[in-house]
Amino acid sequence: MSLSDAQSATAANKNREGGVGAAVQRFGRFLSGMIMPNIGAFVAWGLITAFFIPTGWTPNEGLAALVGPMITYLLPLLIGYTGGKIVHGIRGGVIGAIVTMGVIVGADVPMFMGAMIAGPAAAWVLKKFDKLIEGKVKAGFEMLIDNFSIGIIGMLLAIVGKLAIGPVVTKLVEWAGNGVDFLVDAHLLPLASLIVEPAKVLFLNNAINHGVFTPLGTQEALETGKSLLFMIESNPGPGLGILAAFMFFGPRMLRASVPGAIIIHFFGGIHEIYFPYILMKPKLIAAAIAGGMSGVLTGVILDNGLVAPPSPGSIFAYITFTPKGEYVGMFLQVFIAAAVAFVVAFFLLKFDKELRQEAKEEAAAKEAGLPDPMTGA
Amino acid sequence: MPSVNGSDVKRVIVACDAGMGSSVMVASTLRTKLAKYGVEVKHTPVDEIPGDANVVLCHQGLAARAKSTAPGAVVVPFAIFMGDPAFTKVENAIANNQVLES
Repeated sequence: MSLSDAQSATAANKNREGGVGAAVQRFGRFLSGMIMPNIGAFVAWGLITAFFIPTGWTPNEGLAALVGPMITYLLPLLIGYTGGKIVHGIRGGVIGAIVTMGVIVGADVPMFMGAMIAGPAAAWVLKKFDKLIEGKVKAGFEMLIDNFSIGIIGMLLAIVGKLAIGPVVTKLVEWAGNGVDFLVDAHLLPLASLIVEPAKVLFLNNAINHGVFTPLGTQEALETGKSLLFMIESNPGPGLGILAAFMFFGPRMLRASVPGAIIIHFFGGIHEIYFPYILMKPKLIAAAIAGGMSGVLTGVILDNGLVAPPSPGSIFAYITFTPKGEYVGMFLQVFIAAAVAFVVAFFLLKFDKELRQEAKEEAAAKEAGLPDPMTGA
Repeated sequence: MPSVNGSDVKRVIVACDAGMGSSVMVASTLRTKLAKYGVEVKHTPVDEIPGDANVVLCHQGLAARAKSTAPGAVVVPFAIFMGDPAFTKVENAIANNQVLES
């Protein structure tokens, strides 16, 4: 299969999905867009946690005092600010942070989801107000109006956030947490891979990981010290297995590009690099699902988890955020996923019609003593 | 259908979903190649492509979004992140002043 064939094949796929695919991607982007710019703060929080909490590398009560306020205030406020900024620029960000503060104070648990709702919603209200008074403000009063509109609307919405949104979202978070606990206890969490892996290669990877797993996982990590939810989408294992299979058994013209892709994927954590290989041979999604499920199952059995979201999904991020003494479990989860994905991908590629045809032609050419059609040598 | 002359390209935008991962990687490899033509390479999220962009590179899975964000730009989709013919196409168009179309 040539590159242009692959291009037209996936182009046809895209047309079939029409605008729905793009709309889903865009909503996902809206969710992940609030989290991703702030991942650096999650990493700082994760490092401080890994080092200074009582079970950490270098326990230090004084420095561990950073952990609570960072997760209760800093991270939700950053998310609320960013969510507001997406909707209505810096003004939106400011009012988003104000209202998020109301939600934080009104809740008993860290308010990631609350921030993801309150930030953009508050900015939306301010945007409507700004639109309403546009052009009606007397010259010289702009600054007064600008500051007091944020102040007054922010105050009112913060009160709503404290009294209404906080308690409601606390309940929602509780239910979501119970749902996750149920899935974990019933050993059903591996089924998540059925949705996650196909969604990933449709470029919903950030949406799923940072829109869903990062907030839920951080919540769980705060209670139990670690979360397996961080290891569902971000596991570099399945992609590694698929790329390795491509390196040995994939279409000949693509093989040369794979080693570089493996390094970028596994060590650099940029998973997008393996999506095209799956989009070219869509049935390989089965290998990704099988790898992902085995990885999650390993994690469930071994009670694995990471202390903070590993982003990007590089093995280095995994090593950094593995709880002390749980390295064997983490590596097992990654490499079992890789091995299973590799084996399934191997069979799918081995029995691929086009690839068998390619192999046959090659063998025939060799026998006839003709130059290799690929290299021209 | 938007089109642009190679010599009119002063800036190439590489877009991905978050504008933080794959686009940064593609942009950094492309930047060295296009620097000698005085062409700047920037990376952005696909929903935030600047309005004055005239050439946008992005993965074909995101091309629909790129086109709706930047209707006036030539959107060149690529299939793989390394060594895709699309990168060569853009480079050649700039080097030889050929017309690029979406």
